[in-house]
Amino acid sequence: MILRLIADIIILLFAPFLMAGLIKKTKAFWGGRKGPSVFQPLYDFIKLWKKDYVISKTTSGVFRIAPVVMIVSVLFASMFIPLASGSSVVSVAGGLIVFAYTLSIGKFFALISAMDTGSSFEGMGASREACFTSIVEPAFFITVGSIMALSGNYTFDSLREIFANAGHYGILIAIFAVVVLFLMILIEGSRVPVDDPATHLELTMIHEVMILDNSGSDLALYTWANGIKMLLISSLIAFIIIPAGLNEWVNVLAYLGVMALISVIIGTVESGMARIRMSHVFEFIFIMSSLALVVFALVTAKMFGG
Amino acid sequence: MNSFFTGIIILILSGFAVSFVNRNFKILVLSLLNTIAACFCLIPAMKVLVSGKNLISSFDFNSLFGVVNFRIDYLAAFFIVIISVMSVISVIYSRGYLKSYADKNIDAHLVFFPMLVASMLAVVTCQNAIVFLICWEIMSLSSFFLVIFENEKKEVLKAGISYLVFMHFSVIFIMLAFALLSVYSKSFDFSSFSSVLEGHKYLANVVFLLAFIGFGTKAGFVPFHNWLPKAHPAAPSHVSGIMSGVMIKTGLYGILRVISIVGTPSKSVSFIVFIVSLITALYGILYAITQNDIKKLLAYSSIENIGIIGTGLGIGMLGLSYHQSLVAILGFSGGLFHILNHSVFKELLFLSAGSVYTRTHTRNIEKLGGLIKTMPNTAVLFLIASVSICALPPLNGFVGEFLIYLGMFNGLASNNFFTMIVMLFGIACLALVGTMAVLCFTKAFSIIFLGLPRSEHSSNVTEDCESSMILPMSFLAVLIFGIGLFSIVAFSLVLKPVSVFVDVNQYNILSALSLIGFITLYALVFLTMLGLVIFIKIKTSKCKISIQDTWGCGYDRANNKMQYSASSYASPFLSMLTPLFKKVFDIEKPRKLFPESSHFNLQFEDIEEAYLINPLVKYDEWFLSKFEALQSGNIQSYIKYGLIFLIIIIVGSLFIK
Repeated sequence: MILRLIADIIILLFAPFLMAGLIKKTKAFWGGRKGPSVFQPLYDFIKLWKKDYVISKTTSGVFRIAPVVMIVSVLFASMFIPLASGSSVVSVAGGLIVFAYTLSIGKFFALISAMDTGSSFEGMGASREACFTSIVEPAFFITVGSIMALSGNYTFDSLREIFANAGHYGILIAIFAVVVLFLMILIEGSRVPVDDPATHLELTMIHEVMILDNSGSDLALYTWANGIKMLLISSLIAFIIIPAGLNEWVNVLAYLGVMALISVIIGTVESGMARIRMSHVFEFIFIMSSLALVVFALVTAKMFGG
Repeated sequence: MNSFFTGIIILILSGFAVSFVNRNFKILVLSLLNTIAACFCLIPAMKVLVSGKNLISSFDFNSLFGVVNFRIDYLAAFFIVIISVMSVISVIYSRGYLKSYADKNIDAHLVFFPMLVASMLAVVTCQNAIVFLICWEIMSLSSFFLVIFENEKKEVLKAGISYLVFMHFSVIFIMLAFALLSVYSKSFDFSSFSSVLEGHKYLANVVFLLAFIGFGTKAGFVPFHNWLPKAHPAAPSHVSGIMSGVMIKTGLYGILRVISIVGTPSKSVSFIVFIVSLITALYGILYAITQNDIKKLLAYSSIENIGIIGTGLGIGMLGLSYHQSLVAILGFSGGLFHILNHSVFKELLFLSAGSVYTRTHTRNIEKLGGLIKTMPNTAVLFLIASVSICALPPLNGFVGEFLIYLGMFNGLASNNFFTMIVMLFGIACLALVGTMAVLCFTKAFSIIFLGLPRSEHSSNVTEDCESSMILPMSFLAVLIFGIGLFSIVAFSLVLKPVSVFVDVNQYNILSALSLIGFITLYALVFLTMLGLVIFIKIKTSKCKISIQDTWGCGYDRANNKMQYSASSYASPFLSMLTPLFKKVFDIEKPRKLFPESSHFNLQFEDIEEAYLINPLVKYDEWFLSKFEALQSGNIQSYIKYGLIFLIIIIVGSLFIK
C-alpha cells in the first residue's frame, strides 16, 4: 500500500515532465533534429521554481492564489484516478463527478486569474478555454457514464470491466472510448491541432496565452498542473487498455509503456498535423462529442440489442 | 404552534409599528422585531425536525371556509427554516442599502416586507385550499409592491405590472387544480385530497400538470420564466435576494406538496417534469451568459438553478413511479439540498450585487472593473458565492448536484431502454450546465471585480460598502462554508422532508450517508491541502517580486478600453449557438474623415419573449382595441351598460332554471 502510494507520488512528480520531454523528442525526430533531452522540461521546472517574479500591477490576490488552487485541484483529482498501481487512492461511486468538478475548481481560478491581468491576450485565452471546456465535459461524461451503466458500477473501476461485461462489443467500445479520451488529451492538454504549445504570442493560442503574465514558481506550477492533467486522462486510457489481474510491478511497467506510447502518438500527431483555424476548433471538438455518442449507442446496443 | 402564530402576528404588526419610529431607527427596529419573530417561528419548526411529530392547529371558520388546519410537517418545517433565516438577513442588509434613498418615503416598503415573509410562512403551513390561495395572493401582491419600490421610474412600473400579470396567470392554474380536487373530495382540506386521487389516475395527472404550470410559473420554469429577468432588476437588491432566494421556492413547495398529495406520480408526468427542468436549466444558464446586466444575469441564473432543483425532483418522481426508492431518495434529497443551497448563495450574490450597485450606481457590468481593490470584502464574498453556485467542491453547491448526479447514475441502471437514454441525456445536460455556469460566473466576477476600471462608475469608488451590509453577507458566506464542510449535518436535515415522499428507513440510507460523509472529508482534506501548498510555497520561495505593467507584447500604453469585455468574453461560446436568441444590434459606424460619434450596442432578447409573448400581446392589444369605443367617458352610457348587464343576468337566470 505504502509502496504503491510512493510509486504514484513519484509518477505525479516526474511523469508529466517526462511525457512533455518525450513529445518534444518525437517532434524533433520527425523534424530530423536531435532535440533537447527528455529531461529538459524537468530542468525548466526546477529553474523556474528558483526564479524571481514579475507580476502585473493590475493584478490582485486572485492572481497569486490561482496557481496554488490549480495545482491543489489537479493533485486532488489525481486521487480519484487509478495511476501506475492500477487502483485509485479513493474509489467512490460517482468518482467521475468528483474528478471532473475538482478539475473545474482549478479551471475556474485559472480563468479569473487570466482576466485579473486586464490584458486583452489573456482575456481572449480565458474566453476560449471556458468555451471549449464547456463542450468537452459533456462528451467525457457521456463516454464514461455509459461505460459505467454497462457494468452498473459507478466507480472508475468499471473502465477495466469493459471486456468482461461487453464481450465482442467490448473491443469496439474500448476503441471508441480510447479515441474520445485521446481527443480529450489534445483539447485539455492544449496540444496541436487545437492549440499550439510551441508558439508564444500568437493570437491563436488558448492555454499558453492565459499564463502570459505568470512567471517564476507560479508559471512552474501551471506547467506542472497542465502536465498532470494530461497524465490523468492518459491514465484512464491505460486503465482501459491494461488487462486486470496483472502483477503489480508488471502493471507499473505496462502503465509506463502506455504513457510513453501516448506521448509518442501525440508527438507524431503534432508533427503530422497543422493547427486548426480557431473558427474550426468547434468542429474538432464536436467530433469528440459524436464519438462519445457512438460509445453510448454501442453500450445501449449491447444492453438492449441482445 | 402558538409561538409560530405569535411570530406571524409580530411580523404583520412590525411593519405598521415602524411607521411611528424615527427614520434613522426604522430598519433597526424592524430587524429586531423580525429577528424575534423568526425565532418564534424557528422554535416549532426545529421541534418538528427533531422530534418528528407534526404540529397541527385548527381554526373553525364555520360557514366561510369550514375548518382551517395549519400544520407543520417535515416539509413545512424545512421551508420555515429557510424563510425565517433568509428574511432576517435581508432585513438587516436593507438598512445600509436603503440609506441611499434618504429622501424617499419607505414606510409602505417596510409594511410589505414583513407582510411578504408572513404570507410565505402561512403558505407553507396552511392546509386549506381557499386560505392557501388567499395567503398566496397576499404573497404575490406584497412582493409586487416591494418590486415597484422605485415607482417613479417607468420601466420599474412596467416590470412590476408584467410580474403581476404572470402571478395571476399562475394563480388561475393553481385555482383550477384545487377546484378540481375540492369538487371531487367535497372538502377544501389537503388531507382529504389524496384519498380522492387514489382511484383516478387520469385526474391525478391533470391535477398535477395544472399545479405544475401554476406553481412552476412562480418558480420560474421555462416557458413561464419571463417575469424573473424583469422583476429582479427592477426590485431593490434585498428584495431580489429574498424573492430569488426564498419566494420562488414557495412555487417548488407547492409542487412538492402536490406530489405528496398525488402519492405515486405516473411515469409520463415524471418524465415531463424531468425534461422541462433540464430545458429550464439549459435555457436559464444560456441567457445568463448573454446578459451584461448583473441582476438580469443573476435572475437567469436563478432560472437555471430552479431547473437543477426541478431535475432533482423529476428524478425523485421517476424513482417513485418506477418504485426505486434509492433513486427517489437521491433525487428528492438532491433537489431539496439544492433548494437550501440556492437560497444561501443566490441571496449572497444578489446582496453583493446590491453593494456594488450602491457604490457604482450601475448594473451594467461593462462599466465596472477593478473593484477588488476598492471593495475587497464584497469581492471576496461574491467570489465565494460564485464558486459555490458553479457547484465546485468543497463548497455547499457541490453536495446537492452530486446527489442529483448519483440519482441519475442509479437511474441508468434501471434496465429500461427509455429511462437509460433520458438519464444519460440528463447527465450530459447537467455537465453542460455546470461548465456553462463556470463560464457565466467567471465572466461576472472577473468583469466586475478584476482588471482595470472600465468607466468612471467604478474608478470613482473609494471605499467598500458599510459593515452593516458586510455583516449579514458574511454570515451567508459562513453558511456556504458550513454547509459544505458539515454536509452530513445538513443532509440529515434535508433527509427529514424527503421522508414525506419516500420511506427513508426502508432503504439502507447508510450508503448515501457515507457518501455525504465522504464529501465532508473531501472538503476538509482539500482545504488542508490548499493551506499546505500555500505554506510550502511561501516557505520555499526566497525570490524577489517586482511589479510591472501587464505584458502587452512590448506595447506599454495599454488602457482600460483594451481589456476583454463581458460581451467579448462570452462571444466565442455564444457564436456557436446563434439561433437560440434574438440579437438586437444598435450600431452607429464612424463616418466621414473626422467621425463625430459612433457606438455599438448588442442586446440579446429572450427568444420566447420575442417570438411568442410579444406577438401574443400585440394580437391581444389589437383585439381589445376593437372595444375602445365602449369607453366613451360618458357616465350615462356606463349606467346603460350596467343596466344591460343586469337585464341579461336576470333573464339568463330564468332560462337556466
